[in-house]
Amino acid sequence: MSNAKYRIGIDIGGTFTDFTVACPDGTNFLWKQDSTRPDPMVAIGKGLEAVSAELGLGVEALLGQTDLLVHGTTIATNMLIEWDGPVTGLLCTEGMRDTLHFRDGYRPSRFDVHLHHPGAPVDRHLRLSATGRINSAGEVIQPLDEESVVAAAARFREAGVVAVAISFLWSVMNPVHELRAEEILRRELPEAYVVCSHKVLPEMREWERTSATVLSAYVLPRIAEYLASLRSHVDGRGLQAVPQIMQVNGGCARIEDVLERPINIVASGPAAAPAAALHYRDLIGEDLVVVDMGGTSLDVCLIQDGRASMSRTIKVSDQPIGVEAVDVHSVGAGGGSIAWVDDGGALRVGPQSAGATPGPAAYDRGGDQPTVTDANVVLGYLSPDAFLGGRRRLRDDLSRKTIERHVAEPLGIDVIAAAEGIVRIVNDNMVSAIRAVSIERGIDIRGFTLVCAGGAGGLHAVELARQMGISRVAIPREAGVFCSFGMTVTEVRHDYLRARRMITDQVDLGELSSVIGDLEEQARRELSAEGFASEQIETRRYVDARYPGQIHEITVSIAGGEIDRFILAEFEDAFHAEHEKRFGYCRRELPVECLHWRVVGAGGLPLARPESVTGEGGSPAPTDSRELHFGSGPVASPLYESSSLGPDARVEGPAIIASATTTIVLHPGDELRCPRDISAGFIVDVAPKESRLSKTTNGATGEAA
Amino acid sequence: MMSESTITVEAAPPTGWDPVTFSLVLNRFQAIVEEMTLVLERSAWTSILALIHDYSCAIYDARYRQVCVVDGLPIHTTSMQLVVRAIAEAFEGDVKEGDVFACNDPYSGNTHIGDLVVVAPVFSGERLVFWSVSKGHQLDTGAPVPSSVYPRAENVWQEGVTVPPTKIFDAGEEVKGVLNLYYANVRYAGLLKGDLSAQIGSVNKGAQRLVELCDEYGTAEVLDYVDAVIGYADRRMRREIEAMPKGVFKAEGWVDSDGGGRENVPVKVAVTVDHDRVTVDYSGSAEQSRGGINGTLATAMAAGTIPFLYYIDPDIPHNEGCIQRVEVVAPEGSICNAKHPASTSLATIVPSDLMQDLVNKAMVEAMPERVPAGGTRNCNMPYISGGSGDGGWGFELLNSGGGAGASHGTDGWPLCFSQAALGGMKIFSIEQLELLYPVLIERAEIEMDSMGMGEWIGGPGVVVVVRPVDGPMTVIGCGDGCANPPHGSLGGTPGIGGGQYVESAAGDARLYFSAIGGARVPVGDVWVGVSTGGGGFGRPEDRPVEKVQADLRDGFISRDVAEGVFGLVLTGSGVEVDREATEIARQRLGQQARPSVVPNEPAASSWLEQHMRAGDSYAHDPLFEESHE
Repeated sequence: MSNAKYRIGIDIGGTFTDFTVACPDGTNFLWKQDSTRPDPMVAIGKGLEAVSAELGLGVEALLGQTDLLVHGTTIATNMLIEWDGPVTGLLCTEGMRDTLHFRDGYRPSRFDVHLHHPGAPVDRHLRLSATGRINSAGEVIQPLDEESVVAAAARFREAGVVAVAISFLWSVMNPVHELRAEEILRRELPEAYVVCSHKVLPEMREWERTSATVLSAYVLPRIAEYLASLRSHVDGRGLQAVPQIMQVNGGCARIEDVLERPINIVASGPAAAPAAALHYRDLIGEDLVVVDMGGTSLDVCLIQDGRASMSRTIKVSDQPIGVEAVDVHSVGAGGGSIAWVDDGGALRVGPQSAGATPGPAAYDRGGDQPTVTDANVVLGYLSPDAFLGGRRRLRDDLSRKTIERHVAEPLGIDVIAAAEGIVRIVNDNMVSAIRAVSIERGIDIRGFTLVCAGGAGGLHAVELARQMGISRVAIPREAGVFCSFGMTVTEVRHDYLRARRMITDQVDLGELSSVIGDLEEQARRELSAEGFASEQIETRRYVDARYPGQIHEITVSIAGGEIDRFILAEFEDAFHAEHEKRFGYCRRELPVECLHWRVVGAGGLPLARPESVTGEGGSPAPTDSRELHFGSGPVASPLYESSSLGPDARVEGPAIIASATTTIVLHPGDELRCPRDISAGFIVDVAPKESRLSKTTNGATGEAA
Repeated sequence: MMSESTITVEAAPPTGWDPVTFSLVLNRFQAIVEEMTLVLERSAWTSILALIHDYSCAIYDARYRQVCVVDGLPIHTTSMQLVVRAIAEAFEGDVKEGDVFACNDPYSGNTHIGDLVVVAPVFSGERLVFWSVSKGHQLDTGAPVPSSVYPRAENVWQEGVTVPPTKIFDAGEEVKGVLNLYYANVRYAGLLKGDLSAQIGSVNKGAQRLVELCDEYGTAEVLDYVDAVIGYADRRMRREIEAMPKGVFKAEGWVDSDGGGRENVPVKVAVTVDHDRVTVDYSGSAEQSRGGINGTLATAMAAGTIPFLYYIDPDIPHNEGCIQRVEVVAPEGSICNAKHPASTSLATIVPSDLMQDLVNKAMVEAMPERVPAGGTRNCNMPYISGGSGDGGWGFELLNSGGGAGASHGTDGWPLCFSQAALGGMKIFSIEQLELLYPVLIERAEIEMDSMGMGEWIGGPGVVVVVRPVDGPMTVIGCGDGCANPPHGSLGGTPGIGGGQYVESAAGDARLYFSAIGGARVPVGDVWVGVSTGGGGFGRPEDRPVEKVQADLRDGFISRDVAEGVFGLVLTGSGVEVDREATEIARQRLGQQARPSVVPNEPAASSWLEQHMRAGDSYAHDPLFEESHE
């Protein structure tokens, strides 16, 4: 695996298919192609043609010199939103047919008597059971009745089932029944896809495991077909490397690996963001808050010490995916979020969104509800004639009119105060989302850098940082195609897991070392089989742990090597500290109960260093001046074209920096600077917040008493 | 005493407030309580808090007004001001920064002895501005049996250790003796210590955030916005009530057993919807019980108020402004609001679940689109325990909870558990249960035909089979609504009621017992619980044929019910129907007159008669009878 080659990231979204080509000289070529439906391959083909042409190569020449092609697909996620997949069956333990229907028993919004039950991904008549039981110690207490499996197979066949999930109780302690049932089903239903729970998610807790297995089976036929066509497309055009697929855990894996655990590609859309942000670690550090703000929602994820926060409670269409995933917290706050005054007189923003159609009133496409974008127009932050590089004109008169009518008049305030209110409230909603993944988990992020991606991010990022007490914002050049960029700099990642309950004061160190050692060895073996040299392979180890008798676990890392008393004690300390940090207390007098042992195997390829891009710094010249509102009367503020800013250039706020994909608003006191390596984008030093929130300018009603 | 919290509220948003700051402060209160809630859930020890969510977090102001509560347990969250006030008054002049108070005393404004209230005063400088509060159900109270609810308790001394308003931290220092005294008198002290740590962590987190809020906006301003936040909810609530049909609406129902010897005990309600206020009056209900089944002032206030919180826009904050528009009258000395020293051990569920559902029974004709049918009332969710001394173990089984009532446009959910919780609890995973306790769960599945039928069907009941695998186990019931099942509305049928029994090793003899009965289960035998589904809503013949076919195909209902109740004329062994004949059969069903709610008489369930076989037996409470032989 040599370095001086191309890397390609292809990220399919609803509207655009984003391309990033990392070139041998260290530069990145970025491209947005319109997505195609129903066949996303069309957009991939067209995009590859376009980028090769732009790079002055043929597709074959480009792919022939590409050593890493990573693809992020929403095909699996979309299947779970549309529920248009194939007929799927579940074979489960006798007496347990309704695990998926019962869920965790929890009914959200309990005061909403009209809330519909989310249902199960497999209808009950296709949830069949096999007789046979294993207990919590992994002992077979009732042998598998093979006839019951054969009978289930017959019913599946009759119903036209094309994919079957097998999920038995305690298969994580002893998979013998699942393995035998798999053999029988493969024999009885040779055409069907069969997926076993102990392979997909070998974790205790049958609802999450069964769900992960059923969802895997459900998406498998279609993704198998799709990935085969992707493979033949790129193979046929000269790609020597094995295409890699982006996973929800933030790393990528080969097609054959994701077909083993299809659940890993569900919800993988935003999972490449941490890799993209960490690419700039030399410049902005390893403690990062990454926000991606688009038209309808804001995605937030947190990176601490160079590692993204992970979650095991992600759901898609109300169904848990179970596997470890980059913890992306979403709120319905974006440029299209609608501002409204409720019947109690409170100003609200979202979660309803005007989306792309009809869109904000300013788009003049029939939208007549005031949106965050309209507020940004009224405040002067978005230039009517410079939006999206001038590709779309904004009607500031329509923005003003709708805010006047739907917000300012009902509240009895003027239109500027109303627009400022809308922006403050949407910012507050976004701040809440950031707090939820940081402060509320005991993580002080004041020393972090806020990394901003997505089209609408630049308008709000600096203000979000200020509210959070963060002093630095980074806006990478790749912000508009952030995840496809992340795919070119991510690692190959496989997760290995074993369920084994042990309590630290009674632990058998030898057994423990062998449990985790086996997982590690498996990780190294598989990665080296993929062609990684041993120095390119990294393994990281974690334990899901709790106090004995507690219900919920937290995941804590444990040092590498043979596990001795010292390492175990260090792990216990780390557990107590993490518990205290998150929950405000710990009980050092107690031992720690360990449930799951995890090994992450990562294979990383060294990346070409970008050649230093030289250019003129000096003092940039504004191209225009605009009147901006920052909570007091209008302030004349210069507008800069981002392309006019060279290395080391500095711009003091108030100012606007406009580019084709985003607009950055600097408030008085903020300062934007370009790094020497201009390819990195922009850094903003954020002016601190005043000790008290400034109040809305409000001539009409004055300030609160 | 019940309507003493009166506030003045403007008709419109007060002038002089900044609407944007108002929205920000409103959101912040929500965020603070959400964070308190999360801290408690994730760091608690016992399943009761960490999974079952039998707790609530809230913020009160210095005048004991409820400022914010988020997703709390409904039965906790409309009357907690009573106990906060009782604590504050008991320590008047002795409340300092860093103090933490606790109380579980039902006669000091608490719901029942199982709920431990932990309260921290919040100071801004010298001034007390808020109370940060959590109420959490404890796994044990030190009652004679290993259950925190004990239907047989005859007075407050038999239901466990009463904790009157008590200071447990003094200016940040633990008051050691007090906690030691408490822990010495309860089972599972180690676990309870963990839960108390979580509750304290939660209220301290809330206090910290409230101080930060005051620092950010200024204390005086924050307090002004507290008035605004309460006024906001009041305006919205008033508008809701003004739009409701006016009149007096009545209903009657029956508690299965009162723990003191009476069965099918009547509870009555009269709901008066006046111009912009509601009065829920339980006068005429039975005298208080000699056993542990009695309501408290706090549970009566909550039970009468909760339904009106789901009749309104779920977006309206449940703060003082909203809840004070419903007044509850529950005569002292009745089963709805007992007098000291009566035991109120089960107050949060029996009779309060029924008290709540009776409001639905009374209101459904007036507001058919908003009022759900009857739901399960904590039936078949026993405390299961075993071992002894250090090897003792116990948990409350929720996986066998009953279903929710259907409502107009929506089938009921399974696992509603109780009206007190409205489904907001979490069950154990079967694997967690088997990992932590020496039991085997042999079955946990939907029970066919267990729900009320209707145009919308009730949430299904569940059958659960539990086998002890290492020594005998004790099962103690603590519910209601088996003999008197959840009602069906506007043509819908009731749930089945269900029940529980111990089945002998050979499977040839079953010992059935009542919703509040207990039994010992030796190794070899199993406990079986069949919970009721919720009541149905609307006439079954109006349910679309395709939906009934799916219900039949999926085994939610039997062929008999598909044909007899829903009017399907099936043509083969599958789900195919003769459309024309079905249409005729449904028209015939449509001509039958039906009362707007059923049942209207006590002991309406026929589940026992249908399920008991020759050789089976029934005892009201085998465990109690065994110990009193």
